[in-house]
Amino acid sequence: MDNHLKNVMSAVFEIPINEIDQNSSPDNVESWDSLKHMNLVVALEEEFNIEFTDDEIVKMMNLSQIKSIVLEKLT
Amino acid sequence: MKDLKYSEILRLNKEIGENLKSNPYNIIVLSNIIVHQIKEVLEYQLRIEGINANVVNGDYDNIVQDSLKYKESNVVIIFWELCNIIDGLQYKIDLLDDDQLNTIFERTKSEIDLVLKNLRKTSLILFNKFTSLPFSISTRRKNYLEELADQLNQYLEDNIPANVRLVELRKVIASIGVENGFDFRYYYSSKALYTINFFKSYAEYIKPFVMSTNGRAKKALIFDCDNTLWKGILGEDGFDKIEMSPRTKDGVIFAEIQSMALALNRQGILICLCSKNNPGEVDKVIESHPDMQLREMNITINKSNWSDKVSNLKEIAQELNIGLDSFVFVDDSPFEVNLIKELLPEITVLQVPNKLYKYPKMLRENIGLFYNLSFTAEDKKKIEMYNQQVNRETLKNEFANIENYLASLELNMTVYEDEESIIPRMSQMSQKTNQFNLTTKRYTEGDIKNLIEDDASKVYAFSVSDKFGDSGITGLCIIIFNDKNQAVEIDTYLMSCRIIGRNIEYAFIDYLIDMMKRNKVKIVKARYIKTPKNEQVKTFYDKCSFKLTDSNESVRNYSLGVSEYKPKQINYIKVVNGKQYG
Repeated sequence: MDNHLKNVMSAVFEIPINEIDQNSSPDNVESWDSLKHMNLVVALEEEFNIEFTDDEIVKMMNLSQIKSIVLEKLT
Repeated sequence: MKDLKYSEILRLNKEIGENLKSNPYNIIVLSNIIVHQIKEVLEYQLRIEGINANVVNGDYDNIVQDSLKYKESNVVIIFWELCNIIDGLQYKIDLLDDDQLNTIFERTKSEIDLVLKNLRKTSLILFNKFTSLPFSISTRRKNYLEELADQLNQYLEDNIPANVRLVELRKVIASIGVENGFDFRYYYSSKALYTINFFKSYAEYIKPFVMSTNGRAKKALIFDCDNTLWKGILGEDGFDKIEMSPRTKDGVIFAEIQSMALALNRQGILICLCSKNNPGEVDKVIESHPDMQLREMNITINKSNWSDKVSNLKEIAQELNIGLDSFVFVDDSPFEVNLIKELLPEITVLQVPNKLYKYPKMLRENIGLFYNLSFTAEDKKKIEMYNQQVNRETLKNEFANIENYLASLELNMTVYEDEESIIPRMSQMSQKTNQFNLTTKRYTEGDIKNLIEDDASKVYAFSVSDKFGDSGITGLCIIIFNDKNQAVEIDTYLMSCRIIGRNIEYAFIDYLIDMMKRNKVKIVKARYIKTPKNEQVKTFYDKCSFKLTDSNESVRNYSLGVSEYKPKQINYIKVVNGKQYG
């Protein structure tokens, strides 16, 4: 799951996959702005065939949070 | 592309982009809503075709100001979203009175005018037609929003200049459905209305416009015969058993396919056959099968024989003098389809679907490949001209000496200067001509209009006729004056491949230099810019006694002192000055 998420994040933020860790967030990923965040949401929804709520979208601000929200959706 | 996920598109787009070395093709998207996700989706769609697309989004809700800032782009796309003309128009509009409604209508019209005026020199503008669909899909009566969309669209239809093409947004939305096309969650929070699915469909829909301005529209449609143009196998089932009649169950599919091919043929698309069959047998079907719609006059080349299809397709390209990349080939056999895809990847190959009823739909979905930004009278005449060419080839064989042959043709060249009535054709030639094209600069109708109106440039076009027929406008030359008209530069010189081989190219240069002499011009500069397709004209100016001043891998610069020009004086080509076309 980690790798799958990292792959999507790497494509969206245009950074190498090995630069992404559990703490990657808008604070340390330069390209992670509000428009790119929208791209991330859309890419993840398409990837896992899920739909996030507004509340979830604002919480998805680092890899570990994203993972727990996606996992919750999938189960 | 519909099968690709957004994250895959992002990744592939970046990869392909890093490997493309050609000049960037700049596309700017002006919008009054957030449409930033179009960027990579559209770039990817064009980069896979080798067009080094660079898509930039203008500022949010800044269409008018941005139209000044970005007028130099190759293409400007305009997303003018009805519901955001004023914030929340979709719910406010029903409560407005007539005066208020009218104010919105008038203000938007004058903003449109201003934007199009600012962009009047931009090569190509793709303007999305207005739609109320996201907010009117369920209404029975036409609502105010719908009414406003209709009025604005009518205004656009009536007023667009030559450099604008309207995009039928409703068709794009219909192809995926309103449910899949809009994401209201982001509309209310961030003024982003469209989904990734929408942008994928949108990019596919507008791709033909961009392909056409880049000289990449397809020119020929090549069919296999058995189970492609008719049901059955001619060599086994026989003349009487093959089916293409609208009155039989499977025949009706092939009748539709043939009608579609015929319609394309009328628009100037060349139809050829490439099938494994006994040559005489296919000829007999073309001549006398009662249900056959494509006849000899429609089929430019028929390669029905037992050679392999790769060789046959290459021969067709040679005989037509056009590139394999302007071919679309249709075949029912997976073996042949894969073979051609493998060995001639430049060709677009379509396979007849297993479920026959899907065949006409498949062909329709690919009709955009042939889309031409400018559709002109010459397109309709083209088929006739290719047939004349076959007659000329026959006559050629009867003359041992090529000069005698040319002299027997009774060649006439008519030259037009700054002739406005043929702007679409001139623009089209600049977009489509690849081989005899010294600089390969692509111009839209708007560009040509500007060059005609500008005193510092002159646009020449010429038509050629001989005793077999008239080629229509088939040559274009654009001259730019510098240095108080003492020196000129040949910015563009191109000729359609249909008239190559008759020394027309030299007769025109004779004419041009003579005109320059009369206008007291001293120096004519010229240039050859290399492309993958114009090798044949690399030394053209050397042959016209121009002096090579400097050159490198991709560019050769020339200069000619007008007084030193040695005319070719080709006496069998009569040159006349066409006062007006038609």
